[in-house]
This record gives sequence, C-alpha cells and structure tokens, in this order.
Amino acid sequence: MYPLRYILLVNRRISYVNKNLFHTSSVLHTFWERDDKGGYNTKTSVPIKERMRLGLQELKKEIELWKKEIKEDFESDPVLAFRPGETDIMWKFGTEESLQQWVVTSDSDHNEGYSKGSLTLTNTGKGLFSGELSTKVPKDGRTKRAGYCNIKTLRARKSFKRETYLDWNNYNMLVLKVRGDGRSYMVNIATRGYYDVLWNDIYHFVLWTRGGPYWQITKIPFSKFFLSSKGRIQDKQYPIPLNKITSFGISAGDKVNGPFSLEIDYVGLEFDPNHTEEFAYEMYKAPKYIVAV
Amino acid sequence: MLPSKIIRMVVASRSITECLKVMPLTNRNLSVSTVKLCDTSEESKQVTLYRSFEDIKDKNKDTYLDMIRIFLNRDYVYRRGHVEFIYAALKNMESFGVHKDLEVYKSLIDVLPKGKFIPTNMFQVEFMHYPKQQQCIIDLLEQMEDNGVMPDYEMEDLLRNIFGNKGFPLRKYWRMMYWMPKFKNASPWLLPNPLPSDVLELAKLAIHQICSVDVQTQITVYQSRDIEDSIDDTWIVSAQSPIQRSLLRDHDVKQPVYVEGAFRVWLKSNQVNYFVLRADPKPLKTVQEDSDDVSNIKVPFMFNIKPPIKKHLQLSTSVHTQEDGVILALCATGTSSKDSLLSWIRHLEMDGNPTLADVPIVFTLKSGVKEVATVIDNEQNKEVETSK
Repeated sequence: MYPLRYILLVNRRISYVNKNLFHTSSVLHTFWERDDKGGYNTKTSVPIKERMRLGLQELKKEIELWKKEIKEDFESDPVLAFRPGETDIMWKFGTEESLQQWVVTSDSDHNEGYSKGSLTLTNTGKGLFSGELSTKVPKDGRTKRAGYCNIKTLRARKSFKRETYLDWNNYNMLVLKVRGDGRSYMVNIATRGYYDVLWNDIYHFVLWTRGGPYWQITKIPFSKFFLSSKGRIQDKQYPIPLNKITSFGISAGDKVNGPFSLEIDYVGLEFDPNHTEEFAYEMYKAPKYIVAV
Repeated sequence: MLPSKIIRMVVASRSITECLKVMPLTNRNLSVSTVKLCDTSEESKQVTLYRSFEDIKDKNKDTYLDMIRIFLNRDYVYRRGHVEFIYAALKNMESFGVHKDLEVYKSLIDVLPKGKFIPTNMFQVEFMHYPKQQQCIIDLLEQMEDNGVMPDYEMEDLLRNIFGNKGFPLRKYWRMMYWMPKFKNASPWLLPNPLPSDVLELAKLAIHQICSVDVQTQITVYQSRDIEDSIDDTWIVSAQSPIQRSLLRDHDVKQPVYVEGAFRVWLKSNQVNYFVLRADPKPLKTVQEDSDDVSNIKVPFMFNIKPPIKKHLQLSTSVHTQEDGVILALCATGTSSKDSLLSWIRHLEMDGNPTLADVPIVFTLKSGVKEVATVIDNEQNKEVETSK
C-alpha cells in the first residue's frame, strides 16, 4: 500500500506512521523491467474515435507498404554483390520527410536537466542537429548528472507496424558525412534484444569532428563499436550483431556547456575488403566472479 | 508542612535546575573522543567539518591538501567520518581547481585505513564488505572518469591495500584502466593536454585543426597595427594554402567574395571564433550519360581521328571547393571586430593575393551557423565594400 493512502485510510498521524514506508529514492523491487521506456511516461492518450480515424488513415499507407513488400518478395532480387568503395546511403537529409524518421530527445524532456536540442534543415538542405548543452543538474535530489541531446531513428519496421531488424551483414563500415564544430559526438547503434536485459543494448563509438567550414566523411568500422547497456560499458564484450540493428542515433553530451551544432548530410554503409578486423576489443576469458558482477 | 522544609525544597529544586543547565557541558567534556575533550567550540563538536571546504578563502591545491592533512591529524587512532569527508571533498574539487589532478584523488583515497576493510571470507566479498566506504570510492573513481583523469598503478596498490584483491573499487579501477587508455589518444585531431590558456595559442590550434584538410596550408600570425589606419591593435591568425591562393588568383573580379563569421569551433571546453573568406559555390558540371541508351554510340577508334573533345575535360576540384562555397582563406582575430577583419584582408592582399584589391568584398558578420555558406540577399546584413 502506498504510504499516503495508508495515512488517509487509517487516519493516523504522520508521526506514528512507519518512516520506512517513505522512500527518498526510487526503489527497484524486482529485476524484471515493466516497460521498455524504463518508466518514462511518453504515451499520450487519444480518444477512441480519434484513434479509429487515425488508424484508418494509417491503413492506407500500410497497405501501400505491404504491396511493396509483396512485390519485392516476388521479384526476390536482393543486393548480393559487395561493391567495395561504394557507399549505400541509409539515411539522407534534405527534405522535411527525412526528418520524420528521427526522434530528438534531451534531458530537459523529463525535467532531468536543462539541455535543449533540435533537428532541422539548413538553408543548403542538410540536417542540422543543434542545441545547447547544459551540465547543470536540477535540484530534485535524484538526478546525479545531466547534459545530453540525442537524435535517434525510429525502430525499423515492416508494414502494419510490425517490428523488424535492419540487416547490415554485407557491410563492415559506417560512413557519415558531417560537418561538426570540434566537439566529439557519440554514434549509437541499438541492437535491442528480446529479453528485458537486452532491451538497452547499444553499441557506441565516438565521432570526432574537425570543426570549420569543410565537410568530413568519417568511416567507422563496425568492429570498433563497443557494447554498453544503459550507458554503462559492459565487461563482457561481443562483436555487434549486424543483422539485429533496431535503430541508429547520434548523441551530444561531452560535458562542455554551450551550443553545439552538427550538420549531417547522410549516414551510409560501406563494404571495405581491406578491413579484416572482426572485433577491436580483447575477448580473453576474464577471472570468474570478477567481471560482469 | 513546615516553612523551613518548603524553603529547603525550593533550594533543592533550584540546584537541580542549575545542575541540568550545566549537564550538557559536563557531558560533552566526558566524551571519549580526544578531539572533543580539548576544545569546546561549536565546530569541533562535529565529527566532520562539513562546510569547512566552503569557508576557505584562498582556494588552491595547497589549501585543499592542507584540509586533507588537517582531517588526518585530528585523530590518528580513532579516525571517523572518512566517507562524509571524502564526499564533502569531492563536491568542492572544482572550486579548488583540483578536479583534474590525479595526486589529489590519490591523497583522498589515502585517507581510508589500510587493512581494516579487507574482507576475510567469500560472503563478505559477495555482500560488499563495508558498503558505504566502497561506494564512496566508486563514486570518487567515477568523478575521476567524468573529469577525464586516468588512474595510475600506485592507485591500484592503494585500493588493494584498503579493500583487498576483490574489492569493488578495484574492479572499477580495472575497468577504467582497460577503457580509458583506448580512447585517450584516439582522436584524429589530438590536442595538447592541458590546453594552453593563452587565447592566441588556442586560436592557432583551432585554425590548425580546421586546416588539417589541406596539409599545405600556411598559418601566419599578422599584427593589425602593421596596417595603416587600423583602429584595433590585435593579432590575426590567418591560414591560406597555395591552392586557395591560386583559386583566389583565378577568381572573376566581377564576382564578390564574402567575409563571413563568426563561426564557432570547440577545443575541448574552449571555443574559438573564426572567420571565412569565401566565394560563391562552383557546381561541378557532371554530364549524366544513360548507359542503357544505345542509339548513339561513340566509337573512339574507327572513324574519329580528331583528339578527344576538350569540353569533356574538367579541372579536378580541390577540397576547398565545397558544395556551398569556395573557401579562400580562414582567420581568427583577437577582437573578432570588423576592423581587425579589414586588416586581415589588407594583409592577405599584400601577402600574395593582389586580386583582393579589385574584387568586391562583402562582410556578412552576423550570420549564424545555419547560414554557413549561403548568399544572403538581405541588404541589412551586408555591407559592400570595394577596396580602394
């Protein structure tokens, strides 16, 4: 029973109530995780009539998508040839629709900080991820550190909102054409698993930017990406499962207060036959009961 | 009741109240702690001086280390309140300017007793023997991580002597020593650590970093006072490569060039403003050929004796020909003022760019990052200045 309800129902003075019923910090009673948002309420309630109307609108698009899938199935003409040195573009900026695939988040969304970020189009038709970072911690007694902005693509899906994975097995490099401001950013590749412990599996690598008026094309081999969950690097590392990609993101949060801006032209993939490294981090067996505890 | 008896009772009760008043003091004086025995001032009653870090006027590394020494010397045998002291010390590191100092972190860990917290059986290990103390040192290590301070092997010995071979802080240390060196020097644009505090040196570093696209770039530091009629007296870090010089030489004098800025570049936590001299973009003319179209195949050998058609040949573009503008030069000035930029243009003109004397130069100094290299039609923002 919740403490306040307990007081109201039993109608006792607060001083008599067991002090242990009041928690000053969030309590995790079980290992099981209830929802994949980690307790952040992002749902908006839409009335049922409105929902039906929206659903019918969606239906049209979904059927269109489904038709395309069926057609592709029949054609069965997948890309088979590895074309070294050629970049396949996954996400390109330039139109308003291209921005629809991205979600922008920052710590101020849930009153956990004061950073603000946005993803817009520049005058030259590129994506501009910009905003203001602030490491100021709100005085709520819970938040320890703050200061991040993040962009993330929507989860890969098939028609009728069926979730699926991106398959990048044919590639071994991530190619980004960006123009930064000298800050370093984090490239995140989410590989969400089925069980709750795997929900927050994200592979990271740093994107260093040069700054200045010149565009840079950065190629990051997938072997360099390291595994972390909920922002903590994991002791047991595994190479990234390239057939289980759920989303891609870039985050800014280098603990430097001030404005940031990262112009993005495209995010692409490449196969480089000269890169043979499978995983950049040591895979030796660590002593028992020391790691991953 | 006899009056004398009543009087006696009153006296007795008074003496009791007097006693009660005195009691707390005597109680204090009977305390076991040696510290509390010797002085009775308000501060000494606390186990730890919580606000003592804030009270110090002269905040530097020496006074910070002095605070640790004071804590250590207060009680040598029955020292208490390590955790509270370390947390209070961690909170005040930045104001003392020691948050990036490994030595200070080590001396903070050294506050803890050696041997006392070492678990003696596996259950103690598993259930985090002395959890407050272990968590405190984990938090300290995390603060080090946040501030980019890499531990050394001496710290490993310290942690081993305090928490034993299986302590959680030691595990955290090992993780740090695995991951931090991997990324310490991984940046393709490495900067000196610590960064110089001089603004000129920072500007040089920033311009050098930006111009790493063209290794031939020459970075020159001009003085604005060398130009006649200049108001400002400041330095100008200018960068131009031979390719950019030739691009400017071949520039059509009827077309304007733009001085744009200030744009921001970050060097760790420092920002440097820079300005760009650029010309309008020159889009590359690409001839799209439909390879499936077989109606008109060109056969190069059979009936064609003439040399290849010249219009198909193009000059290859350099890195300076960006799709939103041709970058002709870069600079950062001490004042970032319009006058200093005028001096920069004059310096460039004397330094091998005579074209700048004839080319109209547009100063668009208010544009933000969103307008990095777009021609702004707004007349209010630009001010056409033809040289001479």
